[in-house]
Amino acid sequence: MDEFRKTDISPDEIKSVLEVLDPDGERPRNVITTSGLNLRFGDQQILSGVNMDFPRGTITALIGPTGSGKSTFLRTLNRMNDKVRGFRHEGDVALEGRSIWSSDQDLLDLRRRVGMLFQRPNPFPMSIKDNVVAGAKAHGIAKGKQLDVVAETRLREVGLWDAVKDRLNDSPYRLSGGQQQLLCLARALAVGPEVLLLDEPTSALDPLSTESVERLLRELTPALTLIVVTHNLGQARRVSDNTMFFYEGKLVEHGATNDLFNQPRETNTARYVNGLMG
Amino acid sequence: MTIVTQSYPKTSWRRFKASAFRVMTLLALLFVVGPALWLVLGVVVRAVPNWKWSVLTTLSQGTSGGLENAVVGTLVIMVGVLLVAGSVGVLTGIHLAELAPARKNGKAGGGLFRLAVDVLAGFPSIVLGYAGYVALCVALHWGFSLLPAILILSLMVVPYIAKSTESALRQVPTAYREGAEALGMTAGYSLRKVVLKSALPGIVTGLLIALAVAGGETAPLLYTAGATNSLPSWSLVHHPISYLTYYVWTDYNQPSAQAHVVSYDAALILVVLVLTLLVVSRLVVARTQRHSESFR
Ligand SMILES: Nc1ncnc2c1ncn2[C@@H]1O[C@H](COP(=O)(O)OP(=O)(O)OP(=O)(O)O)[C@@H](O)[C@H]1O
Ligand SMILES: [Mg+2]
Repeated sequence: MDEFRKTDISPDEIKSVLEVLDPDGERPRNVITTSGLNLRFGDQQILSGVNMDFPRGTITALIGPTGSGKSTFLRTLNRMNDKVRGFRHEGDVALEGRSIWSSDQDLLDLRRRVGMLFQRPNPFPMSIKDNVVAGAKAHGIAKGKQLDVVAETRLREVGLWDAVKDRLNDSPYRLSGGQQQLLCLARALAVGPEVLLLDEPTSALDPLSTESVERLLRELTPALTLIVVTHNLGQARRVSDNTMFFYEGKLVEHGATNDLFNQPRETNTARYVNGLMG
Repeated sequence: MTIVTQSYPKTSWRRFKASAFRVMTLLALLFVVGPALWLVLGVVVRAVPNWKWSVLTTLSQGTSGGLENAVVGTLVIMVGVLLVAGSVGVLTGIHLAELAPARKNGKAGGGLFRLAVDVLAGFPSIVLGYAGYVALCVALHWGFSLLPAILILSLMVVPYIAKSTESALRQVPTAYREGAEALGMTAGYSLRKVVLKSALPGIVTGLLIALAVAGGETAPLLYTAGATNSLPSWSLVHHPISYLTYYVWTDYNQPSAQAHVVSYDAALILVVLVLTLLVVSRLVVARTQRHSESFR
Protein backbone atom coordinates (compact mmCIF):
# COMPACT_ATOMS: atom_id res chain seq x y z
CA MET A 1 0.00 0.00 0.00
CA ASP A 2 2.81 2.33 0.93
CA GLU A 3 4.63 1.62 -2.29
CA PHE A 4 1.57 2.42 -4.26
CA ARG A 5 1.32 5.77 -2.62
CA LYS A 6 4.91 6.57 -3.48
CA THR A 7 4.37 6.41 -7.23
CA ASP A 8 4.25 9.85 -8.70
CA ILE A 9 1.37 9.55 -11.13
CA SER A 10 -0.56 12.77 -11.25
CA PRO A 11 -4.32 12.73 -10.78
CA ASP A 12 -4.68 13.95 -14.37
CA GLU A 13 -2.80 10.98 -15.71
CA ILE A 14 -4.93 8.60 -13.69
CA LYS A 15 -7.97 10.30 -15.09
CA SER A 16 -6.84 9.93 -18.68
CA VAL A 17 -6.05 6.24 -18.17
CA LEU A 18 -9.45 5.71 -16.63
CA GLU A 19 -11.00 7.57 -19.54
CA VAL A 20 -9.50 5.08 -21.98
CA LEU A 21 -10.53 2.08 -19.91
CA ASP A 22 -14.02 3.33 -19.33
CA PRO A 23 -15.08 6.21 -21.58
CA ASP A 24 -18.47 6.36 -19.87
CA GLY A 25 -16.97 6.61 -16.39
CA GLU A 26 -17.66 10.30 -15.90
CA ARG A 27 -21.13 10.24 -17.34
CA PRO A 28 -24.19 9.38 -15.29
CA ARG A 29 -25.01 5.71 -15.32
CA ASN A 30 -28.61 6.42 -16.17
CA VAL A 31 -29.09 8.03 -19.56
CA ILE A 32 -32.68 9.00 -18.90
CA THR A 33 -34.33 9.53 -15.54
CA THR A 34 -37.95 10.45 -15.01
CA SER A 35 -39.03 11.86 -11.70
CA GLY A 36 -42.60 12.37 -10.53
CA LEU A 37 -43.77 12.49 -14.12
CA ASN A 38 -47.48 13.25 -14.56
CA LEU A 39 -48.89 13.37 -18.07
CA ARG A 40 -52.27 14.77 -19.06
CA PHE A 41 -54.30 15.50 -22.18
CA GLY A 42 -56.67 18.29 -21.23
CA ASP A 43 -58.48 17.16 -18.08
CA GLN A 44 -57.69 13.51 -18.64
CA GLN A 45 -54.84 12.20 -16.51
CA ILE A 46 -52.94 9.65 -18.60
CA LEU A 47 -50.06 8.75 -16.29
CA SER A 48 -49.11 9.84 -12.82
CA GLY A 49 -46.07 9.60 -10.62
CA VAL A 50 -43.67 7.79 -12.93
CA ASN A 51 -40.19 7.50 -11.42
CA MET A 52 -37.87 5.49 -13.57
CA ASP A 53 -34.21 5.16 -14.51
CA PHE A 54 -32.99 3.94 -17.87
CA PRO A 55 -29.43 2.65 -17.42
CA ARG A 56 -26.96 3.18 -20.25
CA GLY A 57 -26.71 0.38 -22.77
CA THR A 58 -29.82 -1.52 -21.66
CA ILE A 59 -33.10 -2.40 -23.33
CA THR A 60 -36.24 -1.54 -21.43
CA ALA A 61 -39.58 -2.95 -22.50
CA LEU A 62 -42.82 -1.04 -21.88
CA ILE A 63 -45.80 -3.35 -21.59
CA GLY A 64 -49.42 -2.91 -20.58
CA PRO A 65 -52.93 -3.11 -21.98
CA THR A 66 -54.03 -0.82 -24.79
CA GLY A 67 -54.67 2.76 -23.70
CA SER A 68 -52.47 2.44 -20.63
CA GLY A 69 -50.27 5.33 -21.75
CA LYS A 70 -47.19 3.54 -23.12
CA SER A 71 -47.02 5.59 -26.31
CA THR A 72 -47.76 8.79 -24.46
CA PHE A 73 -44.89 8.08 -22.06
CA LEU A 74 -42.51 7.17 -24.88
CA ARG A 75 -43.35 10.22 -26.97
CA THR A 76 -42.79 12.45 -23.97
CA LEU A 77 -39.17 11.38 -23.77
CA ASN A 78 -38.19 13.16 -26.99
CA ARG A 79 -40.85 15.85 -26.58
CA MET A 80 -42.98 14.68 -29.49
CA ASN A 81 -46.02 15.38 -27.33
CA ASP A 82 -45.20 19.01 -26.65
CA LYS A 83 -47.10 20.26 -29.68
CA VAL A 84 -50.07 17.92 -29.18
CA ARG A 85 -53.16 19.85 -28.14
CA GLY A 86 -53.99 19.72 -24.45
CA PHE A 87 -50.75 17.98 -23.47
CA ARG A 88 -49.51 18.92 -20.00
CA HIS A 89 -46.68 17.51 -17.96
CA GLU A 90 -45.54 17.82 -14.38
CA GLY A 91 -42.37 16.39 -12.94
CA ASP A 92 -39.27 16.04 -15.03
CA VAL A 93 -37.35 13.96 -17.53
CA ALA A 94 -33.58 14.27 -17.41
CA LEU A 95 -31.24 13.30 -20.21
CA GLU A 96 -27.82 12.70 -18.65
CA GLY A 97 -28.81 14.78 -15.68
CA ARG A 98 -30.20 17.73 -17.59
CA SER A 99 -33.93 18.37 -17.94
CA ILE A 100 -35.15 17.88 -21.50
CA TRP A 101 -37.34 20.95 -21.01
CA SER A 102 -34.58 23.19 -19.69
CA SER A 103 -33.96 26.28 -21.75
CA ASP A 104 -30.37 25.36 -22.59
CA GLN A 105 -31.45 21.99 -23.99
CA ASP A 106 -31.73 22.45 -27.74
CA LEU A 107 -34.85 20.63 -28.99
CA LEU A 108 -33.29 19.58 -32.28
CA ASP A 109 -30.23 18.21 -30.53
CA LEU A 110 -32.46 16.34 -28.08
CA ARG A 111 -34.21 14.69 -31.01
CA ARG A 112 -30.88 13.85 -32.59
CA ARG A 113 -29.68 12.19 -29.38
CA VAL A 114 -33.00 10.50 -28.65
CA GLY A 115 -34.21 8.93 -31.89
CA MET A 116 -37.53 7.28 -32.60
CA LEU A 117 -38.87 4.37 -34.64
CA PHE A 118 -42.60 4.28 -35.30
CA GLN A 119 -45.12 1.46 -35.36
CA ARG A 120 -45.68 1.73 -39.10
CA PRO A 121 -42.62 2.13 -41.30
CA ASN A 122 -42.59 5.74 -42.50
CA PRO A 123 -39.93 6.23 -45.16
CA PHE A 124 -39.94 9.67 -46.79
CA PRO A 125 -40.97 10.10 -50.43
CA MET A 126 -37.39 10.14 -51.69
CA SER A 127 -34.86 7.55 -52.84
CA ILE A 128 -33.62 4.80 -50.51
CA LYS A 129 -30.23 6.46 -50.15
CA ASP A 130 -31.73 9.90 -49.52
CA ASN A 131 -33.90 8.34 -46.83
CA VAL A 132 -30.94 6.96 -44.92
CA VAL A 133 -29.04 10.23 -44.99
CA ALA A 134 -32.01 12.61 -44.59
CA GLY A 135 -31.36 13.27 -40.90
CA ALA A 136 -27.60 13.28 -41.24
CA LYS A 137 -27.95 15.93 -43.95
CA ALA A 138 -30.33 18.02 -41.87
CA HIS A 139 -27.89 18.09 -38.96
CA GLY A 140 -24.92 18.76 -41.23
CA ILE A 141 -23.24 15.59 -39.97
CA ALA A 142 -22.09 14.65 -43.46
CA LYS A 143 -22.20 16.05 -46.96
CA GLY A 144 -21.21 15.26 -50.53
CA LYS A 145 -19.31 12.01 -50.93
CA GLN A 146 -19.46 11.34 -47.17
CA LEU A 147 -23.19 10.74 -47.55
CA ASP A 148 -22.51 7.64 -49.64
CA VAL A 149 -20.32 6.31 -46.85
CA VAL A 150 -22.96 7.07 -44.22
CA ALA A 151 -25.62 5.36 -46.32
CA GLU A 152 -23.55 2.23 -46.86
CA THR A 153 -22.40 1.99 -43.23
CA ARG A 154 -25.89 2.32 -41.82
CA LEU A 155 -27.50 0.01 -44.36
CA ARG A 156 -24.86 -2.61 -43.57
CA GLU A 157 -25.46 -2.07 -39.87
CA VAL A 158 -29.14 -2.98 -40.24
CA GLY A 159 -28.37 -5.82 -42.67
CA LEU A 160 -30.11 -4.22 -45.61
CA TRP A 161 -27.10 -3.40 -47.77
CA ASP A 162 -27.06 -6.52 -49.93
CA ALA A 163 -30.77 -6.26 -50.62
CA VAL A 164 -30.69 -2.62 -51.73
CA LYS A 165 -27.15 -1.87 -52.94
CA ASP A 166 -28.23 -2.03 -56.60
CA ARG A 167 -31.33 0.11 -56.12
CA LEU A 168 -30.20 2.96 -53.89
CA ASN A 169 -31.96 5.46 -56.15
CA ASP A 170 -35.15 3.45 -56.20
CA SER A 171 -38.34 4.29 -54.30
CA PRO A 172 -38.40 2.95 -50.73
CA TYR A 173 -42.04 1.93 -51.09
CA ARG A 174 -41.08 -0.99 -53.30
CA LEU A 175 -39.33 -2.59 -50.31
CA SER A 176 -41.19 -5.06 -48.12
CA GLY A 177 -42.68 -3.79 -44.87
CA GLY A 178 -39.87 -5.33 -42.84
CA GLN A 179 -37.24 -3.84 -45.13
CA GLN A 180 -38.90 -0.43 -44.87
CA GLN A 181 -38.75 -0.64 -41.10
CA LEU A 182 -35.04 -1.55 -41.27
CA LEU A 183 -34.55 1.43 -43.60
CA CYS A 184 -36.20 3.69 -41.02
CA LEU A 185 -33.90 2.21 -38.38
CA ALA A 186 -30.88 2.95 -40.57
CA ARG A 187 -32.17 6.51 -41.00
CA ALA A 188 -32.53 6.91 -37.24
CA LEU A 189 -29.05 5.50 -36.61
CA ALA A 190 -27.45 7.81 -39.19
CA VAL A 191 -27.74 10.86 -36.92
CA GLY A 192 -25.76 9.10 -34.18
CA PRO A 193 -28.36 8.84 -31.41
CA GLU A 194 -27.63 7.69 -27.86
CA VAL A 195 -31.16 6.54 -27.13
CA LEU A 196 -33.74 4.97 -29.44
CA LEU A 197 -37.44 4.99 -28.64
CA LEU A 198 -39.36 2.26 -30.43
CA ASP A 199 -43.15 2.15 -30.45
CA GLU A 200 -44.25 -1.38 -31.34
CA PRO A 201 -41.58 -1.55 -34.02
CA THR A 202 -42.44 -5.06 -35.17
CA SER A 203 -46.22 -5.11 -34.90
CA ALA A 204 -46.61 -4.65 -38.66
CA LEU A 205 -43.98 -7.28 -39.50
CA ASP A 206 -44.04 -11.03 -40.09
CA PRO A 207 -42.27 -13.40 -37.65
CA LEU A 208 -39.09 -13.64 -39.72
CA SER A 209 -38.66 -9.87 -40.08
CA THR A 210 -39.53 -9.54 -36.40
CA GLU A 211 -36.77 -11.93 -35.52
CA SER A 212 -34.20 -10.02 -37.55
CA VAL A 213 -35.26 -6.70 -36.01
CA GLU A 214 -35.03 -8.22 -32.53
CA ARG A 215 -31.55 -9.57 -33.23
CA LEU A 216 -30.55 -6.15 -34.46
CA LEU A 217 -31.86 -4.47 -31.32
CA ARG A 218 -29.68 -6.76 -29.21
CA GLU A 219 -26.68 -5.85 -31.33
CA LEU A 220 -27.31 -2.14 -30.89
CA THR A 221 -26.69 -2.42 -27.15
CA PRO A 222 -24.62 -1.53 -25.23
CA ALA A 223 -23.66 1.26 -27.64
CA LEU A 224 -27.24 2.52 -27.53
CA THR A 225 -29.94 2.60 -24.89
CA LEU A 226 -33.27 1.30 -26.16
CA ILE A 227 -36.80 1.76 -24.87
CA VAL A 228 -39.33 -0.47 -26.63
CA VAL A 229 -43.10 -0.46 -26.39
CA THR A 230 -44.47 -3.90 -27.23
CA HIS A 231 -47.67 -5.88 -27.03
CA ASN A 232 -45.69 -9.01 -27.69
CA LEU A 233 -44.80 -10.41 -24.27
CA GLY A 234 -42.48 -12.96 -25.85
CA GLN A 235 -40.59 -10.11 -27.44
CA ALA A 236 -40.30 -8.27 -24.14
CA ARG A 237 -38.86 -11.44 -22.58
CA ARG A 238 -36.50 -12.11 -25.46
CA VAL A 239 -34.96 -8.68 -25.96
CA SER A 240 -35.26 -6.60 -22.83
CA ASP A 241 -33.14 -6.30 -19.69
CA ASN A 242 -35.78 -4.40 -17.75
CA THR A 243 -39.53 -4.22 -18.08
CA MET A 244 -42.06 -1.59 -17.03
CA PHE A 245 -45.70 -2.55 -16.64
CA PHE A 246 -48.25 0.24 -17.13
CA TYR A 247 -51.83 -0.21 -16.03
CA GLU A 248 -54.68 2.23 -15.44
CA GLY A 249 -52.56 5.35 -15.59
CA LYS A 250 -49.82 4.06 -13.30
CA LEU A 251 -46.44 2.48 -13.60
CA VAL A 252 -47.55 -0.55 -11.60
CA GLU A 253 -44.28 -2.40 -11.49
CA HIS A 254 -40.83 -2.35 -12.99
CA GLY A 255 -37.71 -4.38 -12.63
CA ALA A 256 -35.41 -6.88 -14.29
CA THR A 257 -37.37 -8.61 -17.05
CA ASN A 258 -36.79 -12.08 -15.64
CA ASP A 259 -38.01 -11.12 -12.19
CA LEU A 260 -41.02 -9.25 -13.46
CA PHE A 261 -42.16 -12.14 -15.60
CA ASN A 262 -41.29 -14.94 -13.18
CA GLN A 263 -41.95 -13.38 -9.78
CA PRO A 264 -44.28 -10.43 -10.30
CA ARG A 265 -44.95 -8.56 -7.07
CA GLU A 266 -48.33 -7.18 -8.04
CA THR A 267 -51.39 -9.26 -8.83
CA ASN A 268 -52.22 -7.15 -11.90
CA THR A 269 -48.74 -7.71 -13.28
CA ALA A 270 -49.11 -11.44 -12.71
CA ARG A 271 -52.45 -11.47 -14.45
CA TYR A 272 -51.12 -9.48 -17.41
CA VAL A 273 -47.91 -11.41 -18.00
CA ASN A 274 -49.83 -14.67 -17.73
CA GLY A 275 -52.30 -13.54 -20.34
CA LEU A 276 -55.25 -13.35 -17.99
CA MET A 277 -55.97 -9.69 -18.68
CA GLY A 278 -57.21 -7.91 -21.80
CA MET B 1 -78.21 -12.97 -30.10
CA THR B 2 -80.43 -13.47 -33.12
CA ILE B 3 -79.19 -12.94 -36.60
CA VAL B 4 -81.83 -11.22 -38.68
CA THR B 5 -81.04 -12.56 -42.12
CA GLN B 6 -84.27 -11.44 -43.71
CA SER B 7 -83.37 -7.78 -43.09
CA TYR B 8 -80.58 -7.93 -45.65
CA PRO B 9 -81.64 -6.28 -48.89
CA LYS B 10 -82.11 -8.64 -51.82
CA THR B 11 -79.09 -9.18 -54.00
CA SER B 12 -80.91 -8.02 -57.11
CA TRP B 13 -81.86 -4.73 -55.43
CA ARG B 14 -78.25 -4.14 -54.35
CA ARG B 15 -77.08 -4.93 -57.86
CA PHE B 16 -79.59 -2.47 -59.24
CA LYS B 17 -78.44 0.25 -56.86
CA ALA B 18 -74.80 -0.39 -57.70
CA SER B 19 -75.39 -0.16 -61.43
CA ALA B 20 -77.66 2.87 -61.08
CA PHE B 21 -74.84 4.61 -59.23
CA ARG B 22 -72.41 3.64 -61.98
CA VAL B 23 -74.69 5.03 -64.63
CA MET B 24 -75.03 8.29 -62.70
CA THR B 25 -71.28 8.75 -62.40
CA LEU B 26 -70.90 8.01 -66.11
CA LEU B 27 -73.57 10.58 -66.97
CA ALA B 28 -71.80 13.16 -64.85
CA LEU B 29 -68.56 12.38 -66.62
CA LEU B 30 -70.29 12.74 -69.99
CA PHE B 31 -71.58 16.13 -68.89
CA VAL B 32 -67.96 17.24 -68.44
CA VAL B 33 -66.25 15.38 -71.24
CA GLY B 34 -68.93 16.01 -73.86
CA PRO B 35 -68.82 19.81 -73.95
CA ALA B 36 -65.03 19.79 -73.58
CA LEU B 37 -64.64 17.56 -76.63
CA TRP B 38 -67.28 19.50 -78.53
CA LEU B 39 -65.53 22.81 -77.83
CA VAL B 40 -62.08 21.58 -78.73
CA LEU B 41 -63.32 19.82 -81.87
CA GLY B 42 -65.35 22.88 -82.86
CA VAL B 43 -62.28 25.07 -82.66
CA VAL B 44 -60.06 22.56 -84.43
CA VAL B 45 -62.54 21.88 -87.25
CA ARG B 46 -63.00 25.57 -87.99
CA ALA B 47 -59.39 26.65 -87.56
CA VAL B 48 -57.35 23.88 -89.14
CA PRO B 49 -58.64 24.09 -92.75
CA ASN B 50 -57.56 27.74 -92.99
CA TRP B 51 -54.47 27.38 -90.83
CA LYS B 52 -51.28 29.06 -92.02
CA TRP B 53 -48.11 28.87 -89.99
CA SER B 54 -47.41 32.45 -90.92
CA VAL B 55 -49.95 33.60 -88.28
CA LEU B 56 -47.30 32.89 -85.70
CA THR B 57 -44.72 35.08 -87.39
CA THR B 58 -46.81 37.99 -88.67
CA LEU B 59 -47.99 40.95 -86.67
CA SER B 60 -51.63 41.81 -86.52
CA GLN B 61 -53.12 44.57 -88.69
CA GLY B 62 -56.38 45.33 -87.02
CA THR B 63 -58.78 42.57 -88.04
CA SER B 64 -56.41 40.91 -90.49
CA GLY B 65 -52.76 39.88 -90.51
CA GLY B 66 -51.21 37.45 -88.02
CA LEU B 67 -51.16 36.93 -84.28
CA GLU B 68 -47.48 37.04 -83.38
CA ASN B 69 -47.93 40.02 -81.06
CA ALA B 70 -50.87 38.37 -79.31
CA VAL B 71 -49.09 35.03 -78.83
CA VAL B 72 -46.03 36.70 -77.36
CA GLY B 73 -48.24 39.00 -75.27
CA THR B 74 -50.23 36.11 -73.81
CA LEU B 75 -47.03 34.20 -73.02
CA VAL B 76 -45.51 37.23 -71.30
CA ILE B 77 -48.69 37.79 -69.28
CA MET B 78 -48.81 34.11 -68.29
CA VAL B 79 -45.19 34.10 -67.17
CA GLY B 80 -45.88 37.25 -65.16
CA VAL B 81 -48.93 35.66 -63.53
CA LEU B 82 -46.94 32.49 -62.81
CA LEU B 83 -44.30 34.54 -61.02
CA VAL B 84 -46.58 36.93 -59.12
CA ALA B 85 -49.64 34.77 -58.40
CA GLY B 86 -47.55 31.62 -58.10
CA SER B 87 -45.33 32.94 -55.35
CA VAL B 88 -48.05 34.87 -53.53
CA GLY B 89 -50.54 32.00 -53.79
CA VAL B 90 -48.17 29.23 -52.74
CA LEU B 91 -46.86 31.29 -49.81
CA THR B 92 -50.43 32.09 -48.72
CA GLY B 93 -51.30 28.40 -48.92
CA ILE B 94 -48.25 27.46 -46.86
CA HIS B 95 -49.22 30.04 -44.28
CA LEU B 96 -52.80 28.79 -44.05
CA ALA B 97 -51.81 25.12 -43.80
CA GLU B 98 -48.62 25.20 -41.79
CA LEU B 99 -48.01 28.47 -39.99
CA ALA B 100 -51.32 30.00 -38.96
CA PRO B 101 -51.67 29.02 -35.29
CA ALA B 102 -54.50 26.59 -34.66
CA ARG B 103 -57.48 27.90 -32.76
CA LYS B 104 -58.23 26.88 -29.19
CA ASN B 105 -60.75 24.25 -30.27
CA GLY B 106 -58.17 22.62 -32.49
CA LYS B 107 -59.67 23.89 -35.76
CA ALA B 108 -57.32 25.28 -38.36
CA GLY B 109 -56.25 28.84 -37.74
CA GLY B 110 -55.88 31.77 -40.10
CA GLY B 111 -59.65 32.32 -40.30
CA LEU B 112 -59.42 35.95 -41.37
CA PHE B 113 -56.95 35.20 -44.14
CA ARG B 114 -59.13 32.37 -45.36
CA LEU B 115 -62.15 34.66 -45.40
CA ALA B 116 -60.21 37.22 -47.41
CA VAL B 117 -59.16 34.55 -49.89
CA ASP B 118 -62.75 33.37 -50.26
CA VAL B 119 -64.04 36.91 -50.79
CA LEU B 120 -61.44 37.46 -53.47
CA ALA B 121 -62.37 34.19 -55.18
CA GLY B 122 -66.02 35.25 -55.27
CA PHE B 123 -65.38 38.57 -57.08
CA PRO B 124 -66.56 38.73 -60.68
CA SER B 125 -63.52 39.12 -62.89
CA ILE B 126 -64.97 42.13 -64.67
CA VAL B 127 -65.28 43.98 -61.37
CA LEU B 128 -61.65 43.23 -60.59
CA GLY B 129 -60.76 44.46 -64.07
CA TYR B 130 -62.64 47.71 -63.58
CA ALA B 131 -61.13 48.23 -60.13
CA GLY B 132 -57.72 47.65 -61.66
CA TYR B 133 -58.46 50.18 -64.38
CA VAL B 134 -59.49 52.83 -61.89
CA ALA B 135 -56.74 52.19 -59.35
CA LEU B 136 -53.77 51.24 -61.51
CA CYS B 137 -54.29 52.52 -65.05
CA VAL B 138 -55.90 55.84 -64.11
CA ALA B 139 -54.99 56.76 -60.54
CA LEU B 140 -51.37 55.61 -60.80
CA HIS B 141 -51.14 56.81 -64.42
CA TRP B 142 -49.85 53.45 -65.61
CA GLY B 143 -52.22 53.45 -68.57
CA PHE B 144 -53.13 50.25 -70.43
CA SER B 145 -50.05 48.13 -69.90
CA LEU B 146 -48.47 44.85 -68.78
CA LEU B 147 -48.12 45.46 -65.05
CA PRO B 148 -51.77 46.22 -64.26
CA ALA B 149 -52.77 43.24 -66.41
CA ILE B 150 -50.49 40.88 -64.50
CA LEU B 151 -51.49 42.28 -61.12
CA ILE B 152 -55.22 42.04 -61.75
CA LEU B 153 -55.05 38.56 -63.27
CA SER B 154 -52.87 37.47 -60.35
CA LEU B 155 -55.31 38.87 -57.84
CA MET B 156 -57.97 36.86 -59.61
CA VAL B 157 -56.17 33.50 -59.51
CA VAL B 158 -54.30 33.75 -56.20
CA PRO B 159 -57.29 32.21 -54.33
CA TYR B 160 -57.18 29.07 -56.51
CA ILE B 161 -53.48 28.65 -55.93
CA ALA B 162 -53.69 29.32 -52.19
CA LYS B 163 -56.59 26.90 -51.77
CA SER B 164 -55.02 24.09 -53.74
CA THR B 165 -51.67 24.57 -52.00
CA GLU B 166 -53.35 24.52 -48.61
CA SER B 167 -55.33 21.36 -49.27
CA ALA B 168 -52.34 19.62 -50.87
CA LEU B 169 -50.29 20.35 -47.74
CA ARG B 170 -53.06 19.15 -45.45
CA GLN B 171 -53.11 15.82 -47.25
CA VAL B 172 -49.45 15.10 -46.55
CA PRO B 173 -49.41 12.08 -44.21
CA THR B 174 -48.71 12.86 -40.55
CA ALA B 175 -46.21 10.00 -40.61
CA TYR B 176 -43.88 12.07 -42.83
CA ARG B 177 -44.06 15.08 -40.55
CA GLU B 178 -43.56 13.05 -37.37
CA GLY B 179 -40.71 11.15 -38.97
CA ALA B 180 -38.99 14.40 -39.87
CA GLU B 181 -39.70 15.90 -36.47
CA ALA B 182 -38.33 12.85 -34.66
CA LEU B 183 -35.10 13.11 -36.64
CA GLY B 184 -34.62 16.60 -35.29
CA MET B 185 -35.35 18.49 -38.50
CA THR B 186 -36.57 22.05 -38.04
CA ALA B 187 -40.11 22.75 -39.17
CA GLY B 188 -38.81 24.77 -42.12
CA TYR B 189 -36.35 22.10 -43.21
CA SER B 190 -38.94 19.36 -43.05
CA LEU B 191 -41.37 21.56 -44.98
CA ARG B 192 -38.83 22.14 -47.74
CA LYS B 193 -37.31 18.68 -47.98
CA VAL B 194 -40.14 16.35 -47.06
CA VAL B 195 -43.58 17.92 -46.89
CA LEU B 196 -43.60 20.18 -49.96
CA LYS B 197 -42.22 17.37 -52.05
CA SER B 198 -45.15 15.15 -51.39
CA ALA B 199 -47.63 18.03 -51.80
CA LEU B 200 -46.16 19.02 -55.15
CA PRO B 201 -48.70 17.36 -57.48
CA GLY B 202 -51.57 19.20 -55.80
CA ILE B 203 -49.71 22.49 -55.85
CA VAL B 204 -48.73 22.16 -59.50
CA THR B 205 -52.28 21.25 -60.47
CA GLY B 206 -53.55 24.39 -58.76
CA LEU B 207 -50.93 26.54 -60.49
CA LEU B 208 -51.87 25.03 -63.78
CA ILE B 209 -55.58 25.65 -63.50
CA ALA B 210 -54.78 29.19 -62.41
CA LEU B 211 -52.53 29.74 -65.42
CA ALA B 212 -55.06 28.28 -67.81
CA VAL B 213 -57.75 30.52 -66.36
CA ALA B 214 -55.47 33.54 -66.60
CA GLY B 215 -54.55 32.72 -70.20
CA GLY B 216 -58.16 32.34 -71.20
CA GLU B 217 -59.47 35.38 -69.37
CA THR B 218 -60.74 38.40 -71.31
CA ALA B 219 -62.76 40.75 -69.16
CA PRO B 220 -60.06 42.04 -66.76
CA LEU B 221 -57.61 42.41 -69.64
CA LEU B 222 -60.00 44.58 -71.64
CA TYR B 223 -59.76 47.07 -68.79
CA THR B 224 -56.07 46.83 -68.08
CA ALA B 225 -53.97 45.57 -70.98
CA GLY B 226 -55.41 47.58 -73.84
CA ALA B 227 -54.70 46.53 -77.41
CA THR B 228 -51.88 47.05 -79.85
CA ASN B 229 -50.63 45.70 -83.15
CA SER B 230 -47.01 45.65 -82.08
CA LEU B 231 -44.94 43.23 -80.05
CA PRO B 232 -44.72 43.71 -76.28
CA SER B 233 -42.08 46.24 -75.32
CA TRP B 234 -39.82 45.70 -72.33
CA SER B 235 -41.63 48.28 -70.27
CA LEU B 236 -44.06 47.24 -67.57
CA VAL B 237 -46.20 50.36 -67.76
CA HIS B 238 -47.42 52.95 -70.30
CA HIS B 239 -47.34 50.49 -73.22
CA PRO B 240 -50.44 48.48 -74.13
CA ILE B 241 -49.95 44.78 -74.68
CA SER B 242 -52.01 42.47 -76.88
CA TYR B 243 -53.30 39.01 -76.00
CA LEU B 244 -55.04 36.13 -77.75
CA THR B 245 -58.47 36.34 -76.18
CA TYR B 246 -58.77 39.91 -77.46
CA TYR B 247 -58.64 38.64 -81.03
CA VAL B 248 -60.90 35.70 -80.28
CA TRP B 249 -63.48 38.14 -79.04
CA THR B 250 -63.20 41.20 -81.30
CA ASP B 251 -62.49 39.45 -84.57
CA TYR B 252 -65.37 37.07 -84.11
CA ASN B 253 -67.68 40.07 -83.92
CA GLN B 254 -66.40 41.47 -87.23
CA PRO B 255 -68.50 40.99 -90.36
CA SER B 256 -65.59 39.61 -92.40
CA ALA B 257 -64.54 36.03 -93.13
CA GLN B 258 -60.91 37.10 -92.85
CA ALA B 259 -61.46 38.24 -89.27
CA HIS B 260 -63.25 35.02 -88.38
CA VAL B 261 -60.24 33.01 -89.53
CA VAL B 262 -58.00 35.03 -87.21
CA SER B 263 -60.48 34.57 -84.38
CA TYR B 264 -60.46 30.78 -84.77
CA ASP B 265 -56.70 30.73 -85.12
CA ALA B 266 -56.37 32.60 -81.83
CA ALA B 267 -58.72 30.12 -80.14
CA LEU B 268 -56.79 27.16 -81.51
CA ILE B 269 -53.48 28.56 -80.30
CA LEU B 270 -54.96 29.07 -76.82
CA VAL B 271 -56.27 25.52 -76.73
CA VAL B 272 -52.90 24.12 -77.80
CA LEU B 273 -51.15 26.33 -75.25
CA VAL B 274 -53.30 25.05 -72.40
CA LEU B 275 -52.96 21.42 -73.48
CA THR B 276 -49.18 21.77 -73.71
CA LEU B 277 -49.16 23.26 -70.24
CA LEU B 278 -51.12 20.24 -68.99
CA VAL B 279 -48.80 17.69 -70.55
CA VAL B 280 -45.59 19.40 -69.45
CA SER B 281 -46.78 19.73 -65.87
CA ARG B 282 -47.83 16.07 -65.77
CA LEU B 283 -44.33 15.13 -66.90
CA VAL B 284 -42.75 17.34 -64.28
CA VAL B 285 -44.96 15.87 -61.57
CA ALA B 286 -44.26 12.29 -62.68
CA ARG B 287 -40.55 13.01 -62.53
CA THR B 288 -40.63 14.45 -59.01
CA GLN B 289 -43.06 11.82 -57.72
CA ARG B 290 -41.13 8.75 -58.78
CA HIS B 291 -40.32 8.05 -55.12
CA SER B 292 -43.80 8.68 -53.79
CA GLU B 293 -45.95 6.17 -52.00
CA SER B 294 -48.66 6.04 -54.65
CA PHE B 295 -46.20 5.74 -57.53
CA ARG B 296 -44.70 2.30 -57.12
N1 LIG C 1 -53.70 13.47 -28.56
C1 LIG C 1 -54.45 12.96 -27.58
N2 LIG C 1 -55.44 13.69 -27.05
C2 LIG C 1 -56.22 13.21 -26.06
N3 LIG C 1 -56.08 12.00 -25.53
C3 LIG C 1 -55.11 11.19 -26.01
C4 LIG C 1 -54.24 11.63 -27.06
N4 LIG C 1 -53.38 10.64 -27.34
C5 LIG C 1 -53.68 9.63 -26.52
N5 LIG C 1 -54.71 9.95 -25.70
C6 LIG C 1 -55.30 9.10 -24.66
O1 LIG C 1 -54.28 8.71 -23.78
C7 LIG C 1 -54.47 7.39 -23.34
C8 LIG C 1 -53.20 6.60 -23.54
O2 LIG C 1 -52.93 6.49 -24.91
P1 LIG C 1 -51.62 5.79 -25.47
O3 LIG C 1 -51.63 5.94 -26.93
O4 LIG C 1 -50.46 6.30 -24.72
O5 LIG C 1 -51.87 4.28 -25.06
P2 LIG C 1 -50.97 3.01 -25.40
O6 LIG C 1 -50.62 2.39 -24.09
O7 LIG C 1 -49.87 3.36 -26.29
O8 LIG C 1 -52.01 2.09 -26.13
P3 LIG C 1 -51.75 1.07 -27.34
O9 LIG C 1 -51.16 -0.12 -26.71
O10 LIG C 1 -53.12 0.80 -27.87
O11 LIG C 1 -50.87 1.74 -28.33
C9 LIG C 1 -55.66 6.84 -24.12
O12 LIG C 1 -56.76 6.86 -23.27
C10 LIG C 1 -55.84 7.82 -25.25
O13 LIG C 1 -57.19 7.93 -25.56
MG1 LIG D 1 -49.40 2.95 -28.38
